[in-house]
Amino acid sequence: MNTVLATPTDNQLAASLSHVSKTYKHFKLQDLSFSLERGTVAGLIGPNGAGKSTTMRILMGLVHPNSGTVQVLGQPISSSQASAKQDIGYYSEDMRLYKPESILWHMQFVRSLYPSWDDAYARELLDRFGLIEQQAIKGLSHGQRVKAMLLLILARRPKFLILDEPTNGLDPVAKHEVLTELMRVVEDPDRTILYSSHNTADIEKICDSITFIDRGRLIASDNRDSFLEQWKRIKLHAPETWQTPSIRGLRLESTFHQLRILSLSHFRDEIPAELQSSGATIEAIDPMSLEEIFVSSVMRGREGEGS
Amino acid sequence: MNLKAIRILFLKDLFLSRRFLFAYFLAGMAASAIACYPDATVSFIGFILILTVAIAAGIHFIGNLLLSETIDQTRLFIMSLPVSLLDYSIGKISVVLTTYLIPWSAMLACTVICTSLLPWAKQGSMVTLPAIFLFLFSSFMLQLVTAVITESVGWTICVMVGGNVGLNIFLMKLFAIPEIAEISKGDILRWPPVIHQIHGVELLVIAIALGLTVMVQTRKRDLT
Repeated sequence: MNTVLATPTDNQLAASLSHVSKTYKHFKLQDLSFSLERGTVAGLIGPNGAGKSTTMRILMGLVHPNSGTVQVLGQPISSSQASAKQDIGYYSEDMRLYKPESILWHMQFVRSLYPSWDDAYARELLDRFGLIEQQAIKGLSHGQRVKAMLLLILARRPKFLILDEPTNGLDPVAKHEVLTELMRVVEDPDRTILYSSHNTADIEKICDSITFIDRGRLIASDNRDSFLEQWKRIKLHAPETWQTPSIRGLRLESTFHQLRILSLSHFRDEIPAELQSSGATIEAIDPMSLEEIFVSSVMRGREGEGS
Repeated sequence: MNLKAIRILFLKDLFLSRRFLFAYFLAGMAASAIACYPDATVSFIGFILILTVAIAAGIHFIGNLLLSETIDQTRLFIMSLPVSLLDYSIGKISVVLTTYLIPWSAMLACTVICTSLLPWAKQGSMVTLPAIFLFLFSSFMLQLVTAVITESVGWTICVMVGGNVGLNIFLMKLFAIPEIAEISKGDILRWPPVIHQIHGVELLVIAIALGLTVMVQTRKRDLT
């Protein structure tokens, strides 16, 4: 499925991927298309090995797709990777700094490559994150290392932030500090964030739009509120011979005697009446959490693959 | 190509390897000085130390500056900065060559100067020096091209072992050439045609390895 989050003009887009495929020995990213509007925070959710990191590396120009086109900040990333990276901040949990050197050394090194480096903001971040600039990287905890990395990224004031699982392994306080700083970043309407995680709570907290990806395929993409409004969990009682009616987006999740639990991806006001007329008695219609929506989307996508 | 980025990457790597570079430089100078000692046994130990320093410096700088970036995952950090693969590759190959060539040239220069100046040194022995040093450099270049192509510590060590075995065979064959053996024992330095041919082959190996290294590294499409 190829879904476009929005249909703005090209100069309103921070990034767009069109029919992008990448084949590795044991993994395939297949015909991926989506775009990100400037000034938004987009979440990329997928299980481990879904292709989130590969997608982000393709957006950074670090990995070249076998087919398809990638535009970042109005430029094709394949031909203008080095100049585009002046305006992109990329974090990956696989990324490491030089262990024997200090945070200050890294700040000076990164500053030498970025004319946009904001020293005052860097000092502010040092303070807010509770980091000591003379401290060597090898002496930092995981949380401090992540914060040091984010400092090096944020202080160059990038227009587009690509963050691959930045809160992985962080304690709740460090996670709060990082998310708070990212929320400050998006107060600037010109800055865009693509944020990947398998932690749906973080995504739900900060993202405007959400894309689900699984086994190298895009399975759903929409804005956060639409996801939360349209997806419902329906509990109903129905005779054992009852067949799930053919309603768009309706899926039977589990059965316990006469109790059925269904998920619905496209809720309409008429649906309760349609279900009642099929012989079922509705017990409850509840909103679904983003995690439940994600799991249901993944399972639906996998069923679709199998059929 | 961004020369500023290349310079910054080059200086960064030179800074990161400064301690080892200094240590290899000092060790190389000491080994060369020992090699010029009048006693044959001590001189031989010095010669072995020269070979050891050259081999160790080569594998160390390739491992420390090239292979470790992938193992330590610092390469992803560097490639997230505004540098192209061409900038990265040129910076990396230049710094690995520079760090190796500093102790290498210091040892060659020190040995040549000592042999020329010290009254007990046989001037003819200098006939084999460029050939031996060029062999060490070509062996290093083969390790470098292997490291760039395979990005594997294992394969690079295999080529290093091959180079060491090759060095012993090379020395044996070099001193078995009657003309070379005769000149190296005498006080008059001459350059017979055979030594030029050996230099030519060694320089060709170096040029091919360098060309391959640059070609392979700059043709890589995926940066991580």
